[in-house]
Amino acid sequence: MDNKKIKAGITVFPGSNCDADVYRVLNSVFGVNASFIWHKDEIKDLKKYDFIVIPGGFSYGDYLRSGALAARSPVMQSVKDYAAKGGIALGICNGFQILLEAGLLDGVMLANRSLKFECKDVYLKTLNTETPFTCAVKKGAVLKMPIAHHDGNYFATESLISGLGRKKSVIFKYCDEKGGITAGSNPNGSILNIAGISNAAGNVMGLMPHPERSSEKILGSEDGGWIFKSIIKYIKEK
Amino acid sequence: MDKTKKQAEKLFGLSAEEYEKISELLGREPDSFELGIFSAMWSEHCSYKSSKVYLKTLPTEGGKVLIGPGENAGVVDFGDGDVLVFKMESHNHPSFIEPFQGSATGVGGIMRDIFTMGARPVANLNSLRFGSFSHPRTPYYLSEVVKGIGFYGNCMGVPTVGGEVVFDECYNDNILVNAFTIGIAKKDGIFLSSKCEVGNIVVYVGSATGMDGIHGATMASEEFDLKKNKKRSTVQVGDPFTEKLLLEACLEAMEKKLIVSIQDMGAAGLTSSSFEMADKSGKGMLIDLDAIPLRTAGMAPVEMMLSESQERMLIACEKEKFAELKAVFDKWGLNCVKAGEVIKEKVIKFYYKSKIYKTLDVDVIVNGPEYKRPLKKPQYLNKIKSVKINNYKIPENLNALAVKIITHPNIASKRAVFTQYDYSIGTATIVPPGFSAAVLRANVNSCKGFLLNAGGNSRYTYLDPFTGGALAVTECARNITACGGYPAAITDCLNFASPEDPEVMWQFAYAVEGIKSAAVKLNTPVISGNVSFYNETAKKDGDKTYVSKIYPTPVIGMLGFIDDAGSAVTPFFKDEGDEIYLLGSLKGSLGGSLYMELAYGDFRQKPAGLDLDYEVRLQNCLRSLINKGFLKSAADISEGGIFTALAESAVTNPEKILGFNVNCDIKALGLRIDEFLFSEFEQAFIITMVQKPDGRRKSETAAILKKYGIKSEKIGVVEKGAMKINGIINLKSGKIKEGYYSAV
Repeated sequence: MDNKKIKAGITVFPGSNCDADVYRVLNSVFGVNASFIWHKDEIKDLKKYDFIVIPGGFSYGDYLRSGALAARSPVMQSVKDYAAKGGIALGICNGFQILLEAGLLDGVMLANRSLKFECKDVYLKTLNTETPFTCAVKKGAVLKMPIAHHDGNYFATESLISGLGRKKSVIFKYCDEKGGITAGSNPNGSILNIAGISNAAGNVMGLMPHPERSSEKILGSEDGGWIFKSIIKYIKEK
Repeated sequence: MDKTKKQAEKLFGLSAEEYEKISELLGREPDSFELGIFSAMWSEHCSYKSSKVYLKTLPTEGGKVLIGPGENAGVVDFGDGDVLVFKMESHNHPSFIEPFQGSATGVGGIMRDIFTMGARPVANLNSLRFGSFSHPRTPYYLSEVVKGIGFYGNCMGVPTVGGEVVFDECYNDNILVNAFTIGIAKKDGIFLSSKCEVGNIVVYVGSATGMDGIHGATMASEEFDLKKNKKRSTVQVGDPFTEKLLLEACLEAMEKKLIVSIQDMGAAGLTSSSFEMADKSGKGMLIDLDAIPLRTAGMAPVEMMLSESQERMLIACEKEKFAELKAVFDKWGLNCVKAGEVIKEKVIKFYYKSKIYKTLDVDVIVNGPEYKRPLKKPQYLNKIKSVKINNYKIPENLNALAVKIITHPNIASKRAVFTQYDYSIGTATIVPPGFSAAVLRANVNSCKGFLLNAGGNSRYTYLDPFTGGALAVTECARNITACGGYPAAITDCLNFASPEDPEVMWQFAYAVEGIKSAAVKLNTPVISGNVSFYNETAKKDGDKTYVSKIYPTPVIGMLGFIDDAGSAVTPFFKDEGDEIYLLGSLKGSLGGSLYMELAYGDFRQKPAGLDLDYEVRLQNCLRSLINKGFLKSAADISEGGIFTALAESAVTNPEKILGFNVNCDIKALGLRIDEFLFSEFEQAFIITMVQKPDGRRKSETAAILKKYGIKSEKIGVVEKGAMKINGIINLKSGKIKEGYYSAV
C-alpha cells in the first residue's frame, strides 16, 4: 500500500497553531494524504480518514482551561463517534489537553510545576510498543522530542492511575538520556513522569511532546517520526 | 486661550510653538478633537520629527532589498519567488509602566506590521534591557516582560528564536523592550498601505475599540515624571488569540485578492492608519465614526481616534468584494464593518451622529514639524581617556575573576529566559536560541536558510557613540558570519533619552553616523526601524531631583542568508583534540570592558576604534573557511574577551563537557595577561579545525588567509574537563558549565 493512499484528518480550531506543522510533516516527510478539518464543518462521519490528528496550539485562546472549549465543539463530537468505532486519534500537546477535556482520555492537566511555559528537548521512554502509535518503536526505546507548553503537568487519581497501569495505557514517560525515569528528567511535574497515555482500547493517544517537530534529521531529532511511522505501519497491516 | 494652550502641553504633549503652528495652519485655534489628532500625528513617536534629518542619511537600497523604509516593514528578496519582510520596534514606555501587557502588545504590534504586508510571521526576536541585576525591581520586570513576550508569541504560534538580555544600572528607571518579527511572503503577494483607489470602501476589521492606550503615542514621546503610575491607562491590553484569528483572516482575504490596501492600527490607532493610508495613496477618506465597533458605549470621537486597542486593521476594498471579505472575517469570528470610503479630495471627513463632524486636511496633519535640534558634545566624553594599564595592578586571583565574568548576568546563559518562549514551532528552527545567530530554513522541502541576530552595546556607545553605532552592526554581522551566513539587511531600534537635550542629540547623530558607516561597508542596507526617545525619568533623592537617563542604545536586527541551513556552523567545540586557532589580531583594549568594571570598579575608559575595512576582510575570510568546510566551530570575541569566547565554546556543547588547553605567547603580542584574557573590543574569532589537517587543507587554508590578509595562529587544543590558559587560568569545566547555566 502506498502512503499516499492513507488519509489523515487534522482538526483546526480557532487558535490551533501546530496544524500547519503536522500537515507539512505528514504530507512532505511521510507522503501521507493529510488534509484539514475545520472545527465548524459538519462532518458527521470521519470514517473516510484512516487517522485523525488533533494538533497543538491555543484553541480558543486556552481561555477558561486549556482545551476545555475545543472539547465541546461540533467536530469533537464527530471525533468521539470516530473513536468509539475504533478510529485512530492522536492528540499532541493542546490536542492531548482537548482529549482529556473531551473525556476520551483519563486524567487532567495542571500548570507546569515551574508555573512557566517550558520549551526544551526531553527524552521519552516508550513503555508499550503494542499500540497503533508505537508499533514501529523498539521496545524500551528512548526518544528525543521537544516540549512547548504551560499546562503539561499530568495528574490523575490513584484509581485512575492503577487503571491506566492495568490496561498498559501509559505509553510514554519522561526519562533521562539513558532511559532512567528520574525526578530530574520530569520537565513539568507530571505524576509518575507520565508524558503520554492511551485509552483502554488503545486507539486514542495523547502526548505532550511534539513528534512533528522531531521527524527530520535537520531539526536535531528524527525520533518523533517513529510515532507517525507506527501509525502508517499499523494502518498498512490492518 | 492660555488655558487651552496649557492643556495642549500638559495633556497632548505639544509645545507652545507647535500649538502656534497648528493655529496658523488652521487659521484659528484647534478644538480638542483636532488637538488630539495633531498631538498623535506630530508626536515624536509617529512623526520622527527630531530624528528624520539623520535617518535620511542611512543607506536603504542595494543588495537584495526590494522595499526600504516607509511602509509597515522592509522587504528583501529570498529567491524562488519568495521575499522576507522584517522590522524591529520599541515598546519601552508601555513596558516600564506595565511590563506584562507592555511587552506582549509590543510583540503583537510588530507581528501586525509584518502580516499587514501579506507575510506570514515565521520568527520573533527581542532585545531586552533591564536595570542592574541586583536592583530590587529587576526580577519583577524580567519575569513580567518575559512572560508577556511568551504569552503573545507562543499563542500566535510564531517561534521566538533569539535576542539578547542585558542588565545595566542605566536602565534602572527605563527598561527597554525592542521586538523584531520576520515573515515570509510571495514576491507578488505583498500588500501596501499606499494603494487606495477612489471609490474603495474603507473597512474596519478586528477587535472593537476601547478606552485602552489613549494617548499612547504621546506618552511614548515624553520622559517619565514622578507620577508614572498615573499613565497606566495609556498602556494597551493584548489578546493574542484574537490576533491569531486576525492573522489567519487577513492572509486568507489577501490570498483571495479581496484587499486593495491595508494598514494596521498601531500607535495612534485609527488616526495614524487613516491619515497615513490616505496620504500614501494621495487620496482622502470619509470615516463614519458611528460605524466603529466600540467596547465602551459613548466614547467621544477623539477617544475613538486615539484609542490604541490592539488587534485592529484598516482595509481598503473594492465595493463589489466587500461581501466576500466579510464572509472571511465572519468565518474567523471577527468584526468587519464598512467604516467609510476613499475619496479624491485629500481630506478626511469624519461623520458622527450621522452628520459631518470634522473635515481635516491630510497634508496639514501628516506633514508635521521637522527639527534639526541643537547638538553639543557631551561633557563626560572629555573625561573618557585610554586605559593606562600600568596604573592597574593585575589582580592576584585571575581564576576567581574569570569565574565572576563567565557567571556575570550579562555573560551567562539566558536559557531560563528563552525556554519560556516556544522556539521550535514552525519546524524551521535549525539552530535554536543561545548560540551566535538563529538559523532557520525556508520550509520543509528546502534547506535554503536565513539567519537572524539582534543586539547592540550601549556601554561602548556611551563611551564612543560613533563606534558604538558601528559596532552594533559589525557585531550582528559577526554572529551571522560565524555560522557561515552572508549579512543581507538590517532594521534598527534607536533608544535614546530626550532629544531636547543637545548632548543626547549629539550621541544620536554620531551613533547614526556609525551605523551608516558600518552598514555601507558591510553592504547591509537599513530597510526599517524605529526611534524611541525620552527614555529618561525624573527621580527624587531626598530633597534633590535629578534625571535618570539611559545610555544611548542603538539596537540592530540583522538578516543573513545561507545556502544550506543544515551546514551552519555552531560556536561550540565539537571534539577533544580539535585544534584551536585565533583568527584575526588582538588589540588588547580594556576600556569599557566588564573586566575593568569587576577588577577595578570603573569601565569609563576609551575602547579601541573599529577598522571597518579590516572587519570586512576578516568576515569574508572566515566565511570562506567555513564554506570550504574546514571549520568545526567559530565564535566571535566580544563581551568578556577571549577567555569568555573559549569558555562559552567549551560549555555550550549540548552533549558533552569540554575544556581547552591554550598556550599563547602573549609577550610576542605585546599584551599583558589580563589584556589578553579579557579585552573585548576585538576584531577576531576563535575557530577550531580537525587535528592534524592534511597537506591540501593546510595549503588551501593558507591561501584563503593570504587572499584576505588575515592572520591565524594556533593557540591550543580542545580537551576534556578543564580550562587552562598559559598555566595561569585553570578551571574545572563542569563547575563553569553549572555556573554559566544557573546564574540568570
